[in-house]
Parts: sequence; C-alpha cells; structure tokens
Amino acid sequence: MGTKVKTAVKVGSLELANPVLAASGTFGYGREFAKYLDLNRLGGVVTKGLSLEPRDGNPPPRIVETAAGMLNAIGLANVGAEVFLEEKLPFLAALDCKVVVNLYAEGIDQFAGLAERLRGAEGIDALEINVSCPNVKGGGVAFGVDPISVAAVTRAVRENSDLPVWVKLTPNVTDPVPIALAAQKAGAEALSLINTIMGMAIDARRRTPRLANVMGGLSGPAIKPVGLRMVHLVSRAVDIPVVGLGGIMTGEDAAEYLLAGATAVQVGTASFGDPSSCQRVADELAQFCAQEGVADVNELVGALKT
Amino acid sequence: MRKYAKVVSQEPVGAGVFLLRLEAPAVAAATSPGTFVMLRVSGGPEPLLARPFSVHGAEGDHLLILYQVVGRGTEMLSRVEPGRELACWGPLGNGFNLDCQRPLLVAGGMGVAPLWFAARAMAERGAEVSVLFGLAGAGGYSELLAVLQDQAEAGKISLSFTTEDGSLGEKGLVTHLMPQALERADRVLACGPPAMLKAVASLAAEAEVACQVSLEAPMACGVGACLGCVVPAVPGGGYLRVCQEGPVLGAARVDWERL
Repeated sequence: MGTKVKTAVKVGSLELANPVLAASGTFGYGREFAKYLDLNRLGGVVTKGLSLEPRDGNPPPRIVETAAGMLNAIGLANVGAEVFLEEKLPFLAALDCKVVVNLYAEGIDQFAGLAERLRGAEGIDALEINVSCPNVKGGGVAFGVDPISVAAVTRAVRENSDLPVWVKLTPNVTDPVPIALAAQKAGAEALSLINTIMGMAIDARRRTPRLANVMGGLSGPAIKPVGLRMVHLVSRAVDIPVVGLGGIMTGEDAAEYLLAGATAVQVGTASFGDPSSCQRVADELAQFCAQEGVADVNELVGALKT
Repeated sequence: MRKYAKVVSQEPVGAGVFLLRLEAPAVAAATSPGTFVMLRVSGGPEPLLARPFSVHGAEGDHLLILYQVVGRGTEMLSRVEPGRELACWGPLGNGFNLDCQRPLLVAGGMGVAPLWFAARAMAERGAEVSVLFGLAGAGGYSELLAVLQDQAEAGKISLSFTTEDGSLGEKGLVTHLMPQALERADRVLACGPPAMLKAVASLAAEAEVACQVSLEAPMACGVGACLGCVVPAVPGGGYLRVCQEGPVLGAARVDWERL
C-alpha cells in the first residue's frame, strides 16, 4: 500500500487514533465485542445511553428489521450510573481508545446530576448528550427539537463536568442548523449526528404494530442519505467538529461522511450484522485513502466538491 | 477477526425444513446443547441482520443446523450452495443442564432442533432419555422423522409423537402426554412455541420437576448489546436477554403472564 496513511483526527480537544467510533446503543459497554475485534484499534467507544438510575426499558418486541434497516424501541434500558462506574467503566478505562459516555435524562436537573455523578471518574474522555429523550417538565417533547432546551441541557452538563461535551442531535426536526448553533453557543465541543429517524412498521395481516412501543427509531443503510445531508448542512453552519453517523457499513461510507464535513464517524447498526464492523470500517477507510492517494484522512474532511 | 463458516452440505429433510452442515471447527468444539450461532447470508443491506439458529449437533469440525424456512433470511439460507462462506459467530448463550438421569424432553415443531442435540448427548452419558415430539401434522416430514427414529433406536432414546391432525402418534397437543411421562422424570427440557412452553412449565411446576426452556426472540446482535431479544422476568420484574441470560432459562425465571 506504500506509505502509511495518517489516520489520527482531533474532535475538539480529543485526539482519536482514527476517525471511527462505535455508536451508542449498538456496542453495549465495549466488552460484548472484545472477541470480535481489537477494541484498541478503534478511535473510540460511545457507551450505551446512561441514566442516573437503572432502567428496564420497553416491553418486547423491541426491534424489527425493515428494508435496508431496522427499527428499535429499546427504551434506554441501562445499568444506571452506579453499576456503570463500578462494573463497566474499569474495563473501558484500560483500553487505548477513547471512551465517550452517552447521557440520558428526562430533565435539566437530572442531566446536571448525572454529569456530577460521573465527575472525576477515571477513564471517561468525553460526554455525549442524547437530546432525543423526552423533557418530562417540558410536556414530554424531546429536548432535541427546541434550540432553547438543547442550550439549557448543554449548559447544565458543562457546568457539572470538566469533560468535553458532545451533543447528539436528532434528525426529527425541520432544520437542524438552529439547534446545532444553540448547542455550539452553549459550549458543546462537538456535535454528533444523526440519531435514529422515527418510524413505524405494521403487520398488515394481524393489523398490529410490529413494535410493542408502536413507534421506534430507524437505523441502518436506509438512513445514510439523510445523515449525509444533515452533516453537510450542519458542518457548514458551525465552527465546532461534527461526528457523522447513520448507516455507515463500509470504509467508503465513512469517507462519504468525512467529505460531507464530519471530522469523525460512528458505526452503529453495522455492528449487529457483523460484530467486527467498527474495526473493518477503520481498516477500509485507511485502504480507501491509500487507493485514492490521500496521505492524511483529514484531507477528506469537508472536501466535497459542489 | 471476521468469523466465517463454510457450507459443507445442505439437504432438504421435510417441507421447508433443511439440514445445514457447516465447517466451523472452533464453534463445533465449543458448542453444547442449547447454545446458538448467528448466521448471516447476505454481505449487503438485504437482509441487514444475521439470524439466530440453535445448534442441532456437532460432529468433529462440523456444525449441524436444522431449520425451517419462515421468512426472507431463512429462504435465502435455504438456497446457499456447498463451498459458500457465511458470516457465523458463536457458540452463544447458555445451554441446557444435562446433569440428570431420567430427562423428559418436550419438543414442539422445530423446537426439536436443539433438544435432539441434548437428547443424544444425555443418552451417550447413560441417561434414560424420553422425547415427546409434537407436530401440527406429520405430512411432509417423513424424511426428518425417519432420521430421528433411526437415531432414537441406535441411541436408546424413547421417542413418542403427537400430531394435531392425528397423522402420527397420539392425536392432540404434546402436553397431553406429559402428566404420565412426568411421573418418572427428574428434569424437563423444552423448546417450542411460547404457548406450548407456558403449558409445559406449568405442568412441570405442578409435578415439582425442574424445568428448563429454550426461548426464541427477534435478535439483532446475539452478543448482548442490542437489548432487542428480551423476555419478561420474575421475580422482581425487568427483562432477561435471550442471547445472554438465555436462550435456555429455568422456567421459573420467565414471567409467562407477560410473555
């Protein structure tokens, strides 16, 4: 392959060995995939959405396969902050790759409390706020659809943490740009996008929804065009790095996200169909660069010709 | 570290039922009755996910999978030719506890796939194995049934059938044969549709015989990350992951009312 491609990227203050992270909710707490890939060769791992208290999640069926994708309504089932810190984080902390903890809460105060609970924990490199959760005090509407709420949550987490804060934006909005700008102004160091797109699947013979929760989040290759567009729009509007995700299955998919303006990418649903996906995508991206005469992966970032 | 299995052969053994033989030395060496593997036929987005399959047997480097075509993934699998490599990871999950003397195995339909692996393993260890196998009807399954009958005879396994249409063995549901069979049993192992498993669990509990069930659920990853394959648990509520805490669970751990 000739000279080695430079793969390191900087997402705000965080330096990643390569641009590929495992996406939240698709990679457990990392250990689940240790048999299938070398976790030390990933850019980073974003952990399953964490809440202060443990959550059981939604009743089954929670997942259904759809055309080139899947719907999920897991309901943010997770072990809670205490078990995470005691049982899950030590394994992650020993890895070479960066550890980003995805945060879930249903109120501004709860977000602040969760950030405070994680303060000082060894092995966490950044926090990623999931703003797709319902704001219970705000009438249950997702934080992520309102720039003022996104700014308030971002500020609350920042004020209660010394770690870089990323905000994971929802695609279920008319225009992501004002929300992205609000997060930036409130001190987000990076933006992750996109989260899943709300959808539904129906069993016509039984006349029932295929998910017990009726609605769920669509992921997989079906949503890649939506993710690319939103990364393209947002990365041009903000001054902070964008982490692109949505339907990345191959190194070439990752390259498309970098060209659209992402500094790094996350691989999600692909890990379900092939548990070695994250490492494979990182390897394939380096091969893509070598084949295309790209010496440094950063040359691709935002290099889309329009 | 992508994991593959090579198709050695694939034979139709009944209506929409296939016996797939894979070369997968590491999986075959590590598997035990009740564990499962994830198999993915496509390399592309359709279908996107792998499918879980219980292991039907292991012979040297070979892994046997007995399955019925139920949808798109299994339909594609039924068309794969020898020599083809499939993404395959496992063995996954917890298997059956085989440590008993007079096990009663209750199979509904393709639930026979993992139970037959358990039956042969326990008979080899000298247990007195009884298998009750319930089917809607025997029509179309003559080849599979003949193979099972031959293996039962060779392995000293007692095999009884029930069919809902009366085409083989006793007419009715497989649970009708249980009360009598339970008198001698020191453990029940069961696999089949949820309604059958619920009835089996209830009969075993009444007779105070320990019971393990093997459950099935829609599953994306098989490794405990997606949290898609859960079943309701007791005591204390919450859920158990079929891929991690299961697929074989003590019947008393499952909340049958919420399942």
